Amino acid sequence: MKSFLLLVLAALGCRAKTVTYDFNVTWVTANPDGLAERKVVGINGQWPLPLIEVDKGDQLVVNMHNGLGDRPCSIHWHGMFQNNTNYMDGASMVTQCPVPPGSSMTYNFTVNQNGTYWYHCHTDYCYPDGYRQALIVHDEHAPFKFDEEFTITMSDWYHEMVEDLSTDFMSVYNPTGAEPIPSAFLFNDTMNSSIPVEPNKTYLLRLVNIGAFVAQYFYIEGHTFKIVEIDGVYTEPTEADTLYIAVAQRYAILLTTKNQTDVNYAIVTVADSTLLDGIPEDLQLNNTNWLEYNKDAAHPQATINVTDSTELVPFDDITLVPTDKMELLPEPDMEINVTVIMNNLNTGFSYAFLNNISYTKPKVPSLYTAMSSGDLVANSEIYGEFTHPMILNHNDVVQIVVNNADGGSHPFHLHGHNFQVINRAPPYGPHFNDFLNGDPVPYDPSNHTAFPKFPARRDTFVLPPQGYVVLRFVADNPGVWIFHCHIDWHLASGLAMILIEAPQQMQERMQIPQDHLDVCQAAGVSSKGNAAADTTNFLDLKGQDAQPGWIPDGFTPRGIVALVFSILSAIIGIVSIVIYGMADVKPLMMFCLERGLHLN
Amino acid sequence: MSKNVFAVQVFFIVFRECLEAVIIISVLLSFLKQCLGGPGQDQAIYKRLVRQVWLGSLAGIVICLIIGGAFIGVFYGLGKDIWSKSEDLWEGIFYLIATIIISFMGLALLRINKMKDKWRVKIAQALAEKSAQSTKSTTWLGDWSRRHVMFLLPFITTLREGVEAVVFVGGVSLSLPATAFPLPVICGIIAGLAVGFFIYRGGNMMSIQIFLIASTSVLYLIAAGMFSKSVWSLQYHTFAQRVGGDVAEEGDGPGSYDITETVWHVNCCNPETDNGWDVFNSILGWQNTATYGSVISYNVYWACLVLTVSCLMYEEKTGSLPLKNQFLSFVSKVPGLGGWVAKKRAKRDINEHEVLRQVQAAGLLRE
Repeated sequence: MKSFLLLVLAALGCRAKTVTYDFNVTWVTANPDGLAERKVVGINGQWPLPLIEVDKGDQLVVNMHNGLGDRPCSIHWHGMFQNNTNYMDGASMVTQCPVPPGSSMTYNFTVNQNGTYWYHCHTDYCYPDGYRQALIVHDEHAPFKFDEEFTITMSDWYHEMVEDLSTDFMSVYNPTGAEPIPSAFLFNDTMNSSIPVEPNKTYLLRLVNIGAFVAQYFYIEGHTFKIVEIDGVYTEPTEADTLYIAVAQRYAILLTTKNQTDVNYAIVTVADSTLLDGIPEDLQLNNTNWLEYNKDAAHPQATINVTDSTELVPFDDITLVPTDKMELLPEPDMEINVTVIMNNLNTGFSYAFLNNISYTKPKVPSLYTAMSSGDLVANSEIYGEFTHPMILNHNDVVQIVVNNADGGSHPFHLHGHNFQVINRAPPYGPHFNDFLNGDPVPYDPSNHTAFPKFPARRDTFVLPPQGYVVLRFVADNPGVWIFHCHIDWHLASGLAMILIEAPQQMQERMQIPQDHLDVCQAAGVSSKGNAAADTTNFLDLKGQDAQPGWIPDGFTPRGIVALVFSILSAIIGIVSIVIYGMADVKPLMMFCLERGLHLN
Repeated sequence: MSKNVFAVQVFFIVFRECLEAVIIISVLLSFLKQCLGGPGQDQAIYKRLVRQVWLGSLAGIVICLIIGGAFIGVFYGLGKDIWSKSEDLWEGIFYLIATIIISFMGLALLRINKMKDKWRVKIAQALAEKSAQSTKSTTWLGDWSRRHVMFLLPFITTLREGVEAVVFVGGVSLSLPATAFPLPVICGIIAGLAVGFFIYRGGNMMSIQIFLIASTSVLYLIAAGMFSKSVWSLQYHTFAQRVGGDVAEEGDGPGSYDITETVWHVNCCNPETDNGWDVFNSILGWQNTATYGSVISYNVYWACLVLTVSCLMYEEKTGSLPLKNQFLSFVSKVPGLGGWVAKKRAKRDINEHEVLRQVQAAGLLRE
């Protein structure tokens, strides 16, 4: 038996190949919605960006050169575990320095996973400018069969550059933190497109929301389908008709076509309008693309029977059962309990918080802090207070409870893992927004619905408005992993924290490649030291970047002085009126007395 | 938030305007009685003048009702949407106008005594005109107004008070629902008339004066608050304009105000949303968010008031203000303003006592 396994492994090893891409990242122009031409981030002069396709077990090598000229960038391989290659994760100031214009960085890692993933820039205000695309890992041993496969990306789209939007977003004039409203919604980076299909065949559709903000409902008129994979995790094939795909989430579905070639069916995507603070008249929330049985037949627009996207009832992903039947993890060794809060700080901008910390980038990428800190690696202080670091012991079962004190839903993503989603309230469906009618409902360990035996696993999960979600995973992947809301605006306003997983093992097993360190040098970012870039005393955090101060609650000395002065001047003013008024009385009384009369 | 059925500032404005009108009319009447109503005097003239007073008052009220009706008609006819869209802008402008009007009118009433001197002269002029066949050539209007001074005074008084009231009630309460009006307006009128009447009938000049001082003080408190609120509203308007959404929806938490301009902010006591605090807002101009603009303008307002009062008292004591002549002669050099200065100077030259003496000599006016 053992020898057989070895043989299989050897066979796999033989077939595993290295897939190499050279990415020259430059500005190009594009007009995907036909409404406005704009500057977008292109790769090798092309946009839409190249779809990356590898086979399970391949080595993926991407040589990225930043030719943008005016801004740093990076690439995060969304959903990749990066086991022992945490430094390839691509998150700026977490696992690497942002790659400055003119510099290059090589991403090189083994893809020991299967399914639907994507890649995107993970530097401030970067990927909504078009720097995102799907990454597909084919698996010949997939537990389902199909004739052909398609990848469908969906995305919100802005006509303005994200850097311009960001100045309006983080602004004293946006105290509510209202996210910029997209200008359009794209389907495979275009609109009104068709997917040609033949009758009586089974297609694998890989659906990826590569947007920055808005979740989308997805359904195909006249068809149901079977969900077979979520975020790279195979699931027992499960029938569904409507999906809710938050940004960064993926579904693979099996669709069996009808026995006909007369009618084309609408593939309908509906933007979740509850996320939008306002809906401009010219924003098309519902979009139709077609499952094209017959290129010459009519392509009818979808008939939308709902007035609001919340009336659509999507499949509840928490009910999916992974094919590997991984059981519910045991009681956690460590629990992280955080609450999502939106609040303003004394800059007047709106910030997002996990508990009372709004993630603020350190001066040194946290992974590099860990690698350069020696024995202090497991001391959370060195990572800085405002990166919200949590130290996880190797192989501990970790439970993350995320409560939502905010009225919006948040797609949370954990790098380097998928996690079991063991509890969530309210569930998808008609009651999803029910908790908005009262105070936020936090997770109560002594009062919750039963945990599933084989919990669904994914890497991005939606936190319901004013509700909660409970996640479990095993800390078996040494590295610094950021846990954040995948709405790019919320990440920018601080809705993130970092998990320092198995710090000793991290130091033992990994070494940062030289070209990554060179990038830091080119970017003028220190690659050693604590969060405050102090290399001599790691426990001295003086000079670390901090979130702005809290808005004083009530009267400050300044306010008291102002109030006292106002009261004083009012009193003086009234006294002067009284004096002036009384000055009139004397002559008046004289006048009356002299004449011996009263007015009445 | 319960339904707002009583707008405090509306009540106070109406009350105060009614009171003013009542006091002026009653003082006029008693003044006539005192000067002309004696046994040895011409009862016909006395009665005619009393009738003039009542006619003037009524005419003023009627016209003010017409103006007020038109004002409110236009106001609501244009659609409240136009106003509410930029509510803070309109509030700011109306508050500013209201403050200016209150500021100029408030002090005048404090000096009934002074006014009475003016009236004596005016009546005397009217009588002198009639008896001593003036040879001065006058315009027809001037002639008429001199003869009907006892009609014009109450007419102008009631008209002015009435229009003031309408402007305030209409303008100040842009932000208030229609339900907030009727009760305070009616209560204000009743209270104003009642207090005016009782003070006049039951009290003496002293209590009237004290009452006037008190009400003037409150009036200036309101005015200072309004001035501050006007600046605040204009600032808030520009902030809200840039924020875009309805900032008021934010309640009183962060985001409901511009932190960079804020002197103090308490997360409570928002006069727009919390009950009770709107009373402080209307009387004292309370805001749970104070901006540099609103605090400075509040203090500057009081400083200006104190300065004005000091100047008036100084002028009363010495008969002239320092630098007044220099100022006038400087202004007279400015082209176009020469005429105004000449008029100002001529006015001072009229020998009021001369007129009075003439009339008294003719036995028309009792000493």
